[in-house]
Amino acid sequence: MTTTTHTTDDSQEQMSSRIRSFLLRQEVILLIISLLAVMFLAFGSDRFLTTDNLLNQGRLLTEIGLVALSMTFIIITGGIDLSVGSILGLCAIILGVMWDPNGAFALPLEVAVVICLLVGTLAGFVNGLIIVRLGVPPLITTLATLALYRGLAEGISQARSVRGYPEEFYVLGQGEFLGVPTQLWVLLIFCILTAVILSRTIFGRAIYAIGNNELGARFSGVPVGRYKIMIYTFSGFMAAMAAWIFVSRVSTTRSDMGSGLELDAIAAVVLGGTSIFGGSGSIIGTIIGFILIQLLKNGLALSGVTTDGTIVVIGTVLILAILINNFIQRRSGNG
Amino acid sequence: MQEKPILELEHISKRFPGVQALTDARMDVRAGEVHALLGENGAGKSTLIKIISGVHKPDTGDLRMDGQRVVFNNPREAQAKGVATIYQELSLYPELTVAENIFMGHAPRGLLGSVDWRAMRRRAEEILLSLNITDLGVDDKIGTLTVGKRQRVEIAKALSFNARILIMDEPTAALTEADVQRLFGIVRLLRERGVGIVYISHRLEEVFTLADRVTVLRDGHYVDTKAVREVTSEQLISMMVGRTIDNLFPKLPAQIGEPVLEVRNLWRKPLCKGVNLTLRAGEIVGLAGLVGSGRSEFAQTVFGFTPAQSGDILINGKRLDIRNPGEAMRHGIAYVPEDRGTQGLIRQMRLRENVSLAVLRSVSHSGFIDNRAEHELADKSIGSLQIRAFSGEQVVNKLSGGNQQKVVVAKWLAAKPKILIMDEPTRGVDVGAKAEIHRLISELAQQGIGVLMISSELPEVLGMSDRIVVMREGEIVAEFSREEASQEKVVAAMMRDAHSAVSAQGAAT
Repeated sequence: MTTTTHTTDDSQEQMSSRIRSFLLRQEVILLIISLLAVMFLAFGSDRFLTTDNLLNQGRLLTEIGLVALSMTFIIITGGIDLSVGSILGLCAIILGVMWDPNGAFALPLEVAVVICLLVGTLAGFVNGLIIVRLGVPPLITTLATLALYRGLAEGISQARSVRGYPEEFYVLGQGEFLGVPTQLWVLLIFCILTAVILSRTIFGRAIYAIGNNELGARFSGVPVGRYKIMIYTFSGFMAAMAAWIFVSRVSTTRSDMGSGLELDAIAAVVLGGTSIFGGSGSIIGTIIGFILIQLLKNGLALSGVTTDGTIVVIGTVLILAILINNFIQRRSGNG
Repeated sequence: MQEKPILELEHISKRFPGVQALTDARMDVRAGEVHALLGENGAGKSTLIKIISGVHKPDTGDLRMDGQRVVFNNPREAQAKGVATIYQELSLYPELTVAENIFMGHAPRGLLGSVDWRAMRRRAEEILLSLNITDLGVDDKIGTLTVGKRQRVEIAKALSFNARILIMDEPTAALTEADVQRLFGIVRLLRERGVGIVYISHRLEEVFTLADRVTVLRDGHYVDTKAVREVTSEQLISMMVGRTIDNLFPKLPAQIGEPVLEVRNLWRKPLCKGVNLTLRAGEIVGLAGLVGSGRSEFAQTVFGFTPAQSGDILINGKRLDIRNPGEAMRHGIAYVPEDRGTQGLIRQMRLRENVSLAVLRSVSHSGFIDNRAEHELADKSIGSLQIRAFSGEQVVNKLSGGNQQKVVVAKWLAAKPKILIMDEPTRGVDVGAKAEIHRLISELAQQGIGVLMISSELPEVLGMSDRIVVMREGEIVAEFSREEASQEKVVAAMMRDAHSAVSAQGAAT
């Protein structure tokens, strides 16, 4: 037997293939694309690559970012949550109506915020229950609750907006902490939290297993149903967090808040390399994904591109990123 | 006998990233012969037939048909030249009818290019009739048919292309004994008509019943081609593994202790109807039965995958309510499922991640996975089960079938079970890996684990079990001790009402 020579050959081969596969990772490629985009956009406008502008963009991406983080978990299991934008709208309205000093409740602001978070969490939990216990596909379930939650929001708001919050409420959405917008700290904490949970814990591992082979995961004793309910519940909670920050940032409450947010969040997740079929993806990828989308939006706007043009560019980038990813997957997966 | 071959392969080499799948392999197929292709899993059989059927292109070497060099760029071109393949995983459309499946992609056309349904049905009937298949309606939906019938449809489909070479990849793996006999009848019929058949099987007895010549591959290399009449099974096995295996079933004596699992009047409709069973520590109980007799369903009920509707499960004498696999695992039950691809493994994930999946708690601290402990577990599994893999980082998909099966077994051994239920533990596994798995089962029993082994291979059941229990239609219908059991008795119990069917098949062959 020539086992020894085989082994050295193989390990060398493995080593170089490992380096190659690192360079070809979706996250790395995306990072390179992002850097190129930043350089390109910096040429378009002097105001783009300034600390002030970038920090301000951080404010704007927090809501999408939070929702995209929990969306990553859901998409890795092969599911989807279309209702997050509506949950955001519902939670924002609840927050405003509960607090409104001229309204029926006139609760303290702290209590209103807690109720807002609870409602979002409950809305996500309901999604999870319908998906797991009744076996309705996530796409259908959340498409239905997208309409349902938005309808509730509109019914509760009666087309009135709530404004005039106390000054301290705006710290979260408009204030700074150590020179960085407050909500970016919140986003950072959740980024770290979700990244650690997904990559380091039993729960995270189970999420990947479910996405790759749900039946196999069940046969391995993974409590698939419970975990799925947990991630949809978490998604609702994150949408409520986003609602809180959103209201604080724009100083007002309206029932149409967050509409279309789900698509931006899904775009960020998919751009970040998470397979829409489930089974693979990472929080780092999602983070790069939502940063890139925000930078493109802002940079193009500063360069004088219209909003419509910006949407076209973002769509094109998304398709290109997916094509590149597929190309890589096919080359490296060819065994 | 020395006719000219229809198909010749010479100096075929094929490399995949990381593996030299074939080195200088060769084979030839004559008209009207059954040519068996033997080798352990990973020996290169699948690669070779994929080259013949146009799925892969060889790196070097020639394919010749009737002496003419041919190149197949894709399976369609191979089909056009008369090479048809029936893969292990059948490739039919369950929602379509028999006739539609047979003519999928080349339906007879009428005026204006529309499908000529009448011609299609008529020709499908002709093909079925030419194969002596009378129990299949051309309008039956594939989804309603048994595995055996579906396979006959596959064969009919192959013949609709006027196949001159028919490749069959482990055609009997999922078949009942009666269906195997019918298949043999059809294969013989085709041989008489001059079709050259390449037949892959892990069951040596099939090679001796059916084949004219046999080619053996080992580690991607050509070993030899022999006339079946001139070799013995011992010779073939030693050609395949490069060493002599004295005893395929090294059942070791074990101390049989107290009952670890007692099942009383367990119900879970439709296929688990009042089952009673006792399993003792150190005992291997073989659970025999036809496919569809409810063996897996019973096992999955005990494992909590499909929780019981009524009845009792006692573990170490204590009555327990098992409502999901997690609870079963906590009570020391492990279940190695029947289908490693969809149930046993997460094939896109790494070996390390598969081995630890059922026992993540034991390699983690307060919910966080301890990488070092997980790596150690993977390395230990690779070592103790002799899994052929680069390392625990290898994706399971890229391992051979036998090694994948070992990963499933390793995964469940990591759970340190007291009760081990194995559903077809050696299905689609090569001879060497099979012997290793059998030895492992024996050793586990010696360590005091109660093993319930579900198997469709009678020699395996008879060779390994201390006691044999037979299921039919969701009930336990017979029980034999190791001493009193014989192949005939077990088969008779398995199909007590199926005698008429057997004699009908006898006439067909």
